[in-house]
Parts: sequence; structure tokens; C-alpha cells
Amino acid sequence: MSDFAGMEDLLQDFLQEATDLLSDVDNKLVDLEKVPDDRGLLNDIFRGFHTIKGGAGFLSATELVTLCHLTENLFDLLRNGELPLTSDLMDIIMAATKGVREMFGELGQGVQPHPADADLITRLQGALRGEVGGAEPQAQVESAPPVVEISPQPASVGAAAGEPDWIEMHAAVTGVPVASPAPTVEYVEPKSAPTPAPVSGNGKAVAPAGRVEESPAVYGRRASDRPGGQTAPVGRRVEERARENTIRVDTARLDQVLNLSGEIGLTKNRLTSLRADILAGRDDPETLHALDQAVSQLDLLVSDLQNSVMKTRMQPIGRLFQKYPRIARDLARQLGKDVELVLAGEETEVDKTMIEDLSDPLIHLIRNAVDHGVEGPTERQAAGKPAKSLVRLEARQEGDHIVIIVADDGRGMSAERIRAKAVDKGLITEEEANTLDERQSLNLIFLPGFSTKSEISDVSGRGVGMDVVKTNIQKLNGYIDIRSEPGKGSVFIISLPLTLAILPVLLVLLGDQPFALPLSMVREILPIERDKLQEVGGKETLVVRGEILPVIPLSRLLGWPLVKAPEYGVFMQTAERTFILGVDSFAGRDDAVIKSLEDFRPRGVAGVTTLSNGQIVLILDIKELLADVGQHPDERNVRSIEFA
Amino acid sequence: MPADPKMKFLVVDDFSTMRRIVRNLLKELGFTNVDEAEDGAIALQKLQTGGFEFVVTDWNMPNMDGLTLLQTIRSTPNLKHLPVLMITAEAKKENIIAAAQAGASGYIVKPFTAGTLSEKLNKIFEKMGLA
Repeated sequence: MSDFAGMEDLLQDFLQEATDLLSDVDNKLVDLEKVPDDRGLLNDIFRGFHTIKGGAGFLSATELVTLCHLTENLFDLLRNGELPLTSDLMDIIMAATKGVREMFGELGQGVQPHPADADLITRLQGALRGEVGGAEPQAQVESAPPVVEISPQPASVGAAAGEPDWIEMHAAVTGVPVASPAPTVEYVEPKSAPTPAPVSGNGKAVAPAGRVEESPAVYGRRASDRPGGQTAPVGRRVEERARENTIRVDTARLDQVLNLSGEIGLTKNRLTSLRADILAGRDDPETLHALDQAVSQLDLLVSDLQNSVMKTRMQPIGRLFQKYPRIARDLARQLGKDVELVLAGEETEVDKTMIEDLSDPLIHLIRNAVDHGVEGPTERQAAGKPAKSLVRLEARQEGDHIVIIVADDGRGMSAERIRAKAVDKGLITEEEANTLDERQSLNLIFLPGFSTKSEISDVSGRGVGMDVVKTNIQKLNGYIDIRSEPGKGSVFIISLPLTLAILPVLLVLLGDQPFALPLSMVREILPIERDKLQEVGGKETLVVRGEILPVIPLSRLLGWPLVKAPEYGVFMQTAERTFILGVDSFAGRDDAVIKSLEDFRPRGVAGVTTLSNGQIVLILDIKELLADVGQHPDERNVRSIEFA
Repeated sequence: MPADPKMKFLVVDDFSTMRRIVRNLLKELGFTNVDEAEDGAIALQKLQTGGFEFVVTDWNMPNMDGLTLLQTIRSTPNLKHLPVLMITAEAKKENIIAAAQAGASGYIVKPFTAGTLSEKLNKIFEKMGLA
């Protein structure tokens, strides 16, 4: 049951917009630590909380209103120079921001937020009174002059502000009799707060307490309607946030889709009329030429439409990136490091689904960079580096790929040490270790169970992680690579396709059955000459430019009988291995529109697509097929894909 | 409905959710001719193109806040007659005084219902002699 029946749309809108706003506030807070008295930043942050409060009011989210209100008041004092920004104060502010975020989580579940942590409220109220541990209570708020944003001290209004006179003023302006919203009423305090805060000390009391009772339905509900907070089985921390199922699209892009649909309609009409002509027996060159033209035009328009529709799903990756400076900052502080996360390429556009799925891997890489990648200040200075370390998070489009880079200027990784560790942990043998080159060695950190630090830290090293990062990236048809230079730092490079909806594929034939392979894995195509095949350890291999590659016939991966020796080889490169896939022939390349097999998904099949002639083709999941072959070297045990 | 339902409103707020709320409330009251602006500066541009008969504006906005917008409207000959309803989250006396001095036609505190909005609008219509 939702606490927001009838206003789900409003809630969705609010959450989306307010979450962006809060991320923005988070980043500004990180900036604020560098320039604590930047009036512009303080103003922006003030306005952020103020805006969230305003929206939350319409949702009757009383607890959120309270928390934002207190924080906003704190920023009002800060921006007017009535309180100095101490690090203790910063901690309170960070905790308040976190509290707001948690409440968004609860709202996302359709529940009214629980009251903020009572201790946080007390600390906020204390801070508002100028009582922050460590800070000199230099500005006694109680005695501070009333804060007036614009100071037209009203000579013309008669008595000075503060005299009862202004209530008449209020009545005059609002046209509401004096009795109504009494503006100095104490703000509604959460029940958990031990002391009613004298927030109104400087005349800043806000929404009148009577309001909740007075206005029977704020957008159809009243705060007291909500099923007594405690009954909801939701903890303070809402771990799982429902996926956003709405998207904001630039209207210009929608217009383009509309425009193209219109043109396709016109072309369809042209085709209908041509069909009538042709059915009526007209087959003169002009008619056929017109038909040819109409079909070509349709071709062009449809591919434009596909592109346009795809673009509506594209979102700037900055929406994801903006969460990270705060995460990096909090972690660095916890570890006693000085780290700055530098963002670049935030405007790069990525498919919305991909943005959501990238969130966790990127958090992990950033945490990893801050925790393991960069050194503490002492170690850095000893190495002659600046005490502050930089972690760079960058996105850019390269051709039909999106590249995301997480780079640090830390201690780098030693291939030697990684190999030793992997052998130590029994992940690979000594012999295997000796055959690995630099790049392959670095990639060992993606093995399940690998962690470069001997003692596991509670921050990023739980022994799981890097392998999960890799798996998640691969699920997006992407791959991840590492470069590292000891003493200089490490770079993680993620490469992703532009979209998940359309997959460029290579069509190969086994007998006369076509199969589709993701083109991203295909390096090249070569003929298999029987006399060039070499047997190594009982397996067929082919030497390509000095590299010995195993030849695996597709029929073996599928568990089909080998009818004839494969004539062509596809040089495949997956994250784990490089090999040559043996096939009978090719049927060309295609941009496959993937239809997923949601309920019925045989192992080794990523999805299906339809060819121009209407034939249905399976898109193979090479990684799964390889894993099966790897696990069951005995061919009879390989699970086969049966066809009716 | 005493006022002309075709009356053209401009809703000014930097928070699009809030613009939508106000737009919906106005719709509930029968006013469907509503345009939006993200801040005072954009609002002024739109107002200059003409045709607007009523401004509902938030106070706290980047670029140009609601009070400055109000002051500018009042000092612009072809706009100064426009009714302006100020929306804010606070019922602070300083704000209300400042709004009154700048010539606000009304003042409404968030959150509010369609009923409250209607009441405020009618007060303004009365003053304008529309009711």
C-alpha cells in the first residue's frame, strides 16, 4: 500500500528532480570544504534545501520538511556570516544530507519518511543556537539581529519590523484576516525531538503549526492520514531503491521522432498506392523506379527513426557521475587521505539502462582507487608527490563505443606482486604465472577471490568486488582493461557499446543454419587451411601473427555433431580468452534488434533477432557456451541446444 | 468561476515539480491557459512577448528571484498593471513586508490546496474588479 495514492506521478516527478538537486547539493558541499565562505555556494545549497522542503510540503512529507527546514536555517545563518563553518558543523550538514537522501529512499518505496534520527535533529538545533562542539559560539543566534534578506527597513510601513504592526501588513497583502496563519507559531517538531528548538529566535518560524489541521487536504491527503509510521516494515535504511521507470526527454528529440513517424506514414501511403498500381498490372520502368525510390526512402527513414528513438533513451552520464565526489570525499576522510575526484565528460550520453547498471561497478572502482589506489599523505610526500591525490572519472564517446576511465595517481600496481599473490592464493599455478605478460597479470585482479591487500579493509576489500565489476560490465556487452605504472598510478578503462537495444552482429552459418555473434567480440575473419592447423596438447590450433590460438568449432560449442571440418575461422576475443571459432560460412553482418527470451532462455543464447527474410536467428552468448565447454571437456556432456 | 477561464497565467519556479503542482491546481480551478518559466529572467522575456494576464511566482530562484521579478514588473510601464501572486515556503514577516512594498498582489505559503489558491486568486480578482 502506498502512502501516496492518487499522487504517484507527483511523487515520481518530485523524487527525480529532488534527487538531482540533492546530488548537486552534495557536490557543492564538497566544493564548500575547499572554500568555506563562498557566498554563492552557500546560497545555492540554501536554495537546494529550501526547494526540496517546498516540494515535500505538497507531499505532506512532514519529516522531510522538518529536516530540510532545519538544515536550510543553518545555511541561512552560514550565508549571512552569523555562524562560521567548522568541520563539526560540516559533519552535521553531511549527516543531514544523508538523512534527506534516506528519506528519498523511503518515498521511493511509497512510504512517508520516518522521523530523522533524533540525535541529528538535536545537533541541528544545537548548531542553530550556535552550540557546536569545537566552534566558538561567536554568534549568539538568540541575540542576533533578525535576518532580513532584502532590508527595506520599513519607514513607510510605519513601525519597525517586529512590532505587531506587520500583522496588519500581512492581512493587507494576503487579504486574509489576522487570525489565519499566525506566522510566528513554532514549527512542527518531530515527536522524537527532545526539546522544542527556539528556532524562532530570529523570527524565522515557518509553516504555522496549525496548518496541518487547517488545510484538510494538501493534494488530497493530510499528514495524519498516514498509517501510523511504525506499522510499515521499513527500516531506517532503505537499501533497495526501485528503478526509475520514467525518463526525462528533450522535447526536440520527441519532435524528431514524431516528425519521422509522419514521414514514414507518407512513404507508406506512397507504397500502398504503388502496390495498387502494380497489382493492377502496371510494371513499366517508371512505376518500378518509383517503387525502388519509396523503399529506399523508407529504409532511410526507419533507420533515422531507430536512431531517434534510441536517443530518447540516452541520458548524460553526469547524472550518475555527480553522486561520486561525495562518496570519494567521505571515504577519503574516513581513511585520513586527501583525495579529489575530478569529473570529465559528464555530458557524454549513455543508454539509461546502462547508466543504472554502471552505478555499482563505478562506485566500486572509485572506492578501490581511494582505498587501495592512492597512498596516504605521508607516503605520498615521501615519494615526492603532492599530498593531495587526484582520482579522475572521465567519459567520452569513441566511435560507436563509450569509454569510461577511472584513473588515480597513486602507487600503481606491480604485475610481479599480483602474480605472486594469485599463486599464493592458489588462483593460478606457478607455471601459469610465468607465462603471463604485464597486461594479463594485471587482469588477475578480476579473478574471484583476489584482493591485493593482505588484510581486508572494511571499505572496499571484502574479497568480492573486482570480479563482480567485471561481470557487470560484461553483462552490458562491455569490457574492462587495466593499465598501471608502479609509483605513477592505475587506470581502469571500461568500454561499452552505445546502446543495448541494437547489437551489431556477424551472421555465421553452420550447415544452412545461421547464428549471430556479437560483432564487438569479432576481431577478424580468416580461412582455415587444413595444412596450417597444428595440434598442441591434442587440440587444434592456428598461428596468427605469432600468436597460438585454439580453434574451437562452433558445432562443438553447441554440442552438435561435427559434420565437416570448419572452413572459416572467426577470431574472437572475449574478456577471458582469445580463440578462433570454426564455422562453415558467413551470411554477412546485421544490426540486430534484440528480442530477449525473458521466460525461456536456453543457456548460451543471448536473445533472438529476425532477418530481413523473416528468418529467426539465435544470438549466441559465447561466454556461456565457452564456460560450458570449459566445465565439461568431455563433449558428450556439453549441453546441446536442440532445434525442432 | 468569476474570472475568465481563458486568462493566461505565467507560473515561475525553478523546480519543475512545483510548476507542475501549481499548473495542476490552476487547472482544478478551471484555468488551463498556463505557461511556465524557470526563473525571473526567463519570465521577463516571456512576459515581454505579451498576452499574459497573471503571474504566479516563486520567491527563491537562481538568476533572478521572485522579488526582483516583481520589482522589475512594477517598474516596467507595459507590465506594471499585471497581478503578481508570490509563492514562498515561509511566512516570514520580512518577506511579506518586502513583497507588499514591492507591490505584490498576494502572497501564498507552501504547501497550499486548490481551495487556498482559489481564495487568494479571488481576492486579487476582486481588487481588480473582475469578480
